[in-house]
Amino acid sequence: MPILSKRKVPQEAEIPTASMADIAFLLIIFFMTSTVFMREKGLKIALPEKTDQVVKIGGERVIRVSINDVGEIFLDEDPVATFELKEKLAQRIADYKAQHEGRDPLVVLRTNVDAPYEKMIEVFDVIKQVPEAKAVSLASIRTGG
Amino acid sequence: MRLKQRIPSKTNIPTSSMSDIAFLLLLFFLVTTKFRKEIGFQVILPEARATERIIKTEDLARIFINSKGQISVDDFLVQPSDVVIRFRLKIAENPAMIAYIKADKRVKYNYVDQVLESLREAKALRVIFATEFKEGLGG
Repeated sequence: MPILSKRKVPQEAEIPTASMADIAFLLIIFFMTSTVFMREKGLKIALPEKTDQVVKIGGERVIRVSINDVGEIFLDEDPVATFELKEKLAQRIADYKAQHEGRDPLVVLRTNVDAPYEKMIEVFDVIKQVPEAKAVSLASIRTGG
Repeated sequence: MRLKQRIPSKTNIPTSSMSDIAFLLLLFFLVTTKFRKEIGFQVILPEARATERIIKTEDLARIFINSKGQISVDDFLVQPSDVVIRFRLKIAENPAMIAYIKADKRVKYNYVDQVLESLREAKALRVIFATEFKEGLGG
């Protein structure tokens, strides 16, 4: 047994930091994949300004698409089905343009207040898909006072 | 000439700052994330083929209309007449504001029409009807 004990070598303390980055990136990836993005989407429309002035529009310039209280669709006075509305409306607009030196008609979507909103969107969607329909406006029909 | 024995050189990639970078990224995303507090109503949106993506979502002001015809703006149950006041304020704060109508597809058009009238009154003329993408072609 030696008389003098060996001199103590100071031990180096070490914190393992190599895996720290892995943990952090794992957290980032976890949050990235678990995030649900709210994708906002819809149909755009610009409303007309409310003024006291009455703007007169010639009756023939207006193409009326109407929805009655039970959800039936009319193009001017003729009943139409949803699938044929697109073609017929495009035809009507083309006819108007041919007669009036290429001026755009005004498409008015008149919806009965008792009609379901879904129906109105369905028809509005069809009108939106007609590229010739440049001026579209919304109106409502109230029946029985 | 004596040939020196080659000592294999140690390559070292400094990884100690890697975690700092990762945590920095984590913190950055934590801080910049905005949480939406508005709850609104649970609505079933109608479907449309012409549905467009909206890019400027920060300009949207949401109006919820549920299937019973109740209207919610900023999580307050409001009457159509109150919509005018609320949207006047909103449009004054941000002239680029877009009204985003999230109406249930089963609601009567009357309620939507009243809201549209109120928006016109408040001069909030840019409106978007919230819809879902419709599957299928044609139509």
